[in-house]
Amino acid sequence: MAVSGSDKSEGTGRGTGRRPTERKGSRVSRGSLPRYILARIGLIIPMMWVLLTLVFLLLRVAPGDPVSAAVGGKLDPTVIEERKTALGLNRPLIVQYFEYLWQVARFDFGQTISDNRPITMIVRDNGGATLTLTIGAFLIALGIGIPLGLAAGRARDSIRDVAIRLFGIITYAAPIFFIGLLMQMFVARPLGLPTSGIAGPRTQFTVQSRPVTHILLVDALLQGNMAALGDILVHHILPCLTLGLLICGVFIRLVRVNVLQTLQSDYVEAARARGIPERQVVREHAFRNALVPVVTVVGLQAAMLLGGAVLTENTFNWPGLGTQLVHYIEARDYIGVQGLVTFFAVVVVLISLAVDIINALIDPRVRYS
Amino acid sequence: MKNTSRAARAAAGVALAVALAGCSGTAPSASNSDSAGASSGGDYILGTTDTVTALDPAGAYDIGSWNLQYAMFQQLVVIPANGATEAPDAASACTYGDAKTVTCTLNAGLKFSNGHDLTSSDVKFSFERNLKIAAPNGASVLLGSLDTIDTPDATTVVFHLKQADLTFIKVLTTAAASIVDEEVYPADKLLDDSQVVGSGPLMLESYTAGDQAVFKANPNYTGDRKAQASQVFVKYYKDSSPLRQAVENNEVDVAWRDLTPTDYADLTSKGALDVIQGNGSSFRYWVWQFGTDVGKQKAIRQAAAYLIDREAIAKDAYDGTVTPSYSIVPAGFAGQKDSFKDAYGAAPDAAKAKQVLADAGIQTPVKITIGYTPTHYGPNAVDEANLLSEQLKASGLFDPKTESAEWTQYQTLYKQKAYDLFMLGWYPDFLDADNYLTPFLVDGGFFKNGYSNSKVNELVKQEQGETDTAKRDARIGELQDITAADVPLIPSWNGKNVAVSSKSMSGVKDTLDPTYIFRLWAISKKG
Repeated sequence: MAVSGSDKSEGTGRGTGRRPTERKGSRVSRGSLPRYILARIGLIIPMMWVLLTLVFLLLRVAPGDPVSAAVGGKLDPTVIEERKTALGLNRPLIVQYFEYLWQVARFDFGQTISDNRPITMIVRDNGGATLTLTIGAFLIALGIGIPLGLAAGRARDSIRDVAIRLFGIITYAAPIFFIGLLMQMFVARPLGLPTSGIAGPRTQFTVQSRPVTHILLVDALLQGNMAALGDILVHHILPCLTLGLLICGVFIRLVRVNVLQTLQSDYVEAARARGIPERQVVREHAFRNALVPVVTVVGLQAAMLLGGAVLTENTFNWPGLGTQLVHYIEARDYIGVQGLVTFFAVVVVLISLAVDIINALIDPRVRYS
Repeated sequence: MKNTSRAARAAAGVALAVALAGCSGTAPSASNSDSAGASSGGDYILGTTDTVTALDPAGAYDIGSWNLQYAMFQQLVVIPANGATEAPDAASACTYGDAKTVTCTLNAGLKFSNGHDLTSSDVKFSFERNLKIAAPNGASVLLGSLDTIDTPDATTVVFHLKQADLTFIKVLTTAAASIVDEEVYPADKLLDDSQVVGSGPLMLESYTAGDQAVFKANPNYTGDRKAQASQVFVKYYKDSSPLRQAVENNEVDVAWRDLTPTDYADLTSKGALDVIQGNGSSFRYWVWQFGTDVGKQKAIRQAAAYLIDREAIAKDAYDGTVTPSYSIVPAGFAGQKDSFKDAYGAAPDAAKAKQVLADAGIQTPVKITIGYTPTHYGPNAVDEANLLSEQLKASGLFDPKTESAEWTQYQTLYKQKAYDLFMLGWYPDFLDADNYLTPFLVDGGFFKNGYSNSKVNELVKQEQGETDTAKRDARIGELQDITAADVPLIPSWNGKNVAVSSKSMSGVKDTLDPTYIFRLWAISKKG
């Protein structure tokens, strides 16, 4: 607490005091926020290079190619080889690799081989569906995970605590497609909820005919089409719930442990000693402090959320980037897979960066570590 | 007070969500729940697991793309539902001058949906463009026999072929022969999916790859394929499981290609939906690899042909949704004959299998590796492979083992001789017996299994150029007999064309024929 407290006036580098390591004339001192952000951004480049190289090599090592996947059941090997050569797939790997890196460096992610779609177009057309799915799932995860974690932490080792912990483990461990299938069979039909897609075909057509953001939910809202908005929201219920349940297990366990720790801390004891009612102690002292580590975990969950989105999208026929990724993997479409994996990686990296910065702002100890 | 106001806000939020959900109707039926779009009585939603490679006819060689192209484009001639011969579409007729010349006469007053005139120049442009682009996933290979095209006037097109080819008019019925607007389509590259324009009965309103396509009736279309619904939605599904959920939940009106045989049997027993079966022409077969010690021995190939129990495979692996096949050419095609039934009998015969192996001095049990791919041809392919393996093993003459690989790897493995016997499937490009002979028998077929028979090559050439129907049928019959004797492959079954439909649909049954063309324009919703 002392460290944290003393840093408060200096955390952003705007404080008057100079630290021992700070050199005279240096614009960014060790532990300053800009330096921290620059270091984090600098790490992105080697990280992305390693990732791009891995994706490139793994796809080439994996059996199959885009031409054989598409027309291998129809054409003889000679014709297939001719078509592969025409596409440049028979050139030396090193030539293809450097060409690929050069393209990416210019933010040119290319055009898919199997259906001639620019990657940027795929991200534009399908990214919105993934975005609303993950945000919806995340909100559900928070809405379920935090109250349950709090409830479990307040009643340690009670039946309620055990039941909630069990629930958290099951939702975290159960395969997402299995939960999705159960939802479709036992929740969708009794409640009359749709089992697939982001909206009914007519709704989708109506809203997409006047796109503004290419995010269906937002476009329906901007168009003031409440019926379409309702239809889209209803279609979000099961997929968001399925993906949200996966993530909520993590939040349950995290919040529970933090609540337990803070309830045993000195300042909570001090609050109790001052005669503050237990309910207020929990809500205003223990609970708020227990939520700080959740911010860190949010960043860590971004990758898990996107990974889960791929499976959820396939289970619910969701027209997002995950469905597209699986399609291009099956088609052995190098360009499609490389482009989408790179996009996913950039998103995860940016979220991690944002979370790191927020963490550094909230807790100055982070930038000194 | 604070708690009360929070609770009130939460309640208001929930109420808003419920109200919005209420606006949508929340009914499982998409047609009911989609109050956002205006709906006319005949509109309908088709759900399918097919994928679409390209909407430009020069860019695709798959059923999913072709079915959209059949709706958006005209061909010179078409195969009507359950018809055997070509019917007029853009052309009033296409006829052979000799076996190397085909002349087509266009109907007068043809227009593309953008109002441009459709002339012989567009036809010439379309074919030449397809061959020039030769897209990696395209079907330009089907136009391989085309040499030059003449257009003596605005309504006459003369195709000159490199060699005698009586299947060329059949090729003209395929989506590869779709006519595009030369004022819109680039001559040397594919047109973007969002910009495609044609002269067919339906025109594209919107298309989101892998998600949905929306069509409306083309007001400029004047042919016989008039659209029965003013708007048609095609919804794409990743696999059969969500498609089944959707059709049961009335989110789509028709599910076509592909639910599993188990789904068809289950939905039939429930009775809430119509499970409609039409004649099919898909073909499942087992190819011998002549490059292995086992596959190169004719006696072993013949012994296996004696032992396969097609009836059991159709019944146990596919719930009776397929028909046992005793020839490389499916029933219903001119010249077809059940050569394998004639040579090896309808039922398995272990005694004869044993005899043929003994006569050749082959020691038993013969170790054999059977290859299959577990998902590309649907989940029941595993059952089929295991059943065949059991049948061979039960005879005591074979010691089989099965191996599987996913489609992309499978193609490499069977070419690398990893299997003695491997499973493949086929959908015809056009309805002619030749489409089951040339791709499989000439110089090892497209799968290059090492089989080569000069007599077969000669007979194929002859049947392709034979104008006398009786003689052609005889040659096709002879080719099937040679196939049964040499056994480069073993026919297994022919598929049916099956759709699951709500009871309010009309036109579905009529379109389920061996062409596998789902005539989107001919379907509508009653009431």
